[in-house]
Amino acid sequence: MRECIGTRELMVLDGLGVRLQGTYHRPAGGLSVATGAGDRVGVLFVNSLSLPRAASGDSAVHWANAIAALGYPAFRIDLPGLGDSAGQASTDLLDRINDGAFAPVAAGAIKELEDRFALSGVIVFGHCAGSVSAVYAGAASSKCKGLILLDPYFHLPQAKRPRLREELSGWARRSKLGGMLSNAYDRTRNVAMKVRGNTPPGNANMQLLERWKQLTAAGIPVLLLKAPGIKAQGAKPRVGEFDYIDYVVKLAGRRTRVSAEFVEGADHSFANRAGREAVQKHISEWLGKNFPLFDHKSVKSNDLAKHASDEPVDLKESAAVSDEQCCALEAGK
Amino acid sequence: MREQGVAVKTQLHENEQAEERAGYYPVSGAHLYTVLHEVAEPLARMLLVGPFASERHNSYLPWVRWARYLAAANVEVLRYDYRGVGESTGNFETMTFADWGEDVAQLSVWLKERGPQVPLVLHGLGLGAVLSGRAFDAGIGDALLLWSAPANANQALRQTLMRWVGLEQIFKFGDDRKSASDYIRKLEQGSPLEVDGYTWSVKLWQESFDFALPAALASEESAAKAYTRPVRMVKLTRDAAPLSKGGLVGFDDLKDFGWLYAPNREWLVAMATKGSKGIVYA
Repeated sequence: MRECIGTRELMVLDGLGVRLQGTYHRPAGGLSVATGAGDRVGVLFVNSLSLPRAASGDSAVHWANAIAALGYPAFRIDLPGLGDSAGQASTDLLDRINDGAFAPVAAGAIKELEDRFALSGVIVFGHCAGSVSAVYAGAASSKCKGLILLDPYFHLPQAKRPRLREELSGWARRSKLGGMLSNAYDRTRNVAMKVRGNTPPGNANMQLLERWKQLTAAGIPVLLLKAPGIKAQGAKPRVGEFDYIDYVVKLAGRRTRVSAEFVEGADHSFANRAGREAVQKHISEWLGKNFPLFDHKSVKSNDLAKHASDEPVDLKESAAVSDEQCCALEAGK
Repeated sequence: MREQGVAVKTQLHENEQAEERAGYYPVSGAHLYTVLHEVAEPLARMLLVGPFASERHNSYLPWVRWARYLAAANVEVLRYDYRGVGESTGNFETMTFADWGEDVAQLSVWLKERGPQVPLVLHGLGLGAVLSGRAFDAGIGDALLLWSAPANANQALRQTLMRWVGLEQIFKFGDDRKSASDYIRKLEQGSPLEVDGYTWSVKLWQESFDFALPAALASEESAAKAYTRPVRMVKLTRDAAPLSKGGLVGFDDLKDFGWLYAPNREWLVAMATKGSKGIVYA
């Protein structure tokens, strides 16, 4: 068995005493990336809820490959108790994520990556519950230089809704009458929301919003991507639902560097082809704008050609491997 | 925020004395991602052949915990990702059942060579049961454990499709909701289908009907007549979700599966112990 193939290497981090399994995607051409002083940043993917580090449809593998091909080192890790990492996930995982429980270990991973790969900082990438972990991790680490958040939420969802409510929702989605009643319910909620004004609902995750404000007010670049939601009208949420995206963009204040984009055609996982490719394109543009490549000459010509034509980078790279290209991690042990 | 440093349960799992080593195994045109749960002097070695494509993600935590549970019971375990899935490389769209069958055969040889003196057990779940059942029928392995073995690969694909359609329907209202039959029709009309991020080729769908579990593995009784090697077959109920149909990711995959693991471990240990007293497996 080998620990490295092509542009990938397996790695183990010390997650505050817990073994964290991860995969490192080596950057194309050993390119250095500027963050103002000629340093380079890496991109760290964290788990979405209990999904392993490959994420739905292996989308995280796809994006990490694409990011590495652009010249940025990319890392995917399993947090404690998830994927192949040690530890035991708690049965109240969602509540703990919403409470920022992974922040210390993720901040520790950022520090370890920074030291091990001589990075000037790390951009944290999270999807759904992973984006909650990313915000908390970013706030807990001075080395977080940016965030990429896919379908983040800023409220406190229930892990499992009551059975009756599930059945009612299912009926509303299936039947015409149910759909009409659901619309009426939405309008009632809309009136209540207008009365309340631009104040987050009672189940808003205030702790998370505070961390968000702390990061964005400091001018940290954030790419926020939103997939079409249930009964949503484009980028706007469902009638009667609080517009958290609009709220958090405003909350970021005058120094904001938050780019919020709507990804038409994506599903919530962003793992479908349309979602995956749109995310890749947004990331490529955002990285180029906020963390420009320092030395374009050192990028392999085929990598540049791939990106110039906007062709998706091959999800699964060739198995043909040059041994001498491998095992930077092993050499560093 | 909780107290710094003790945020998540960080205590080592009771089974983590065993070393876990992740690695890549080269196969034709790709590399398989593998994790070896290494045991110094194992009673047996077991190859875990997991469920199909997106089912891997849904069932990952109970599958990993099962491997750790076995390692703690002195069974060395090798688990892996199918070619083109998860951490393995290769283009999923061009994969065939034959490719995935070849993976089972090659990894079985690798695992057996680590110590031929102890039995090699093949263990499959869902499509993995079909793959391991076929390998066993071809003479690979000293014992076989099947969980929720479908009659053929098509049944496994349908189950995967049903779960994905159920998720899709949560986000759709009225006429936007498509049924599993709508998607199957699309495949049968010759269009590939994207299911949970994986593109199913028409060829994959067509071949799935003929990629069947060997007839001798229809039941434990028929297996006992056909093979001299031990076979155990378990049909998982809904309680075993997400290892079986249903379940909510981030909720059901975190529950305690001890009730499922324990009797299977007991069977395995009994089988391996008898083996050490002179029973010939193959």
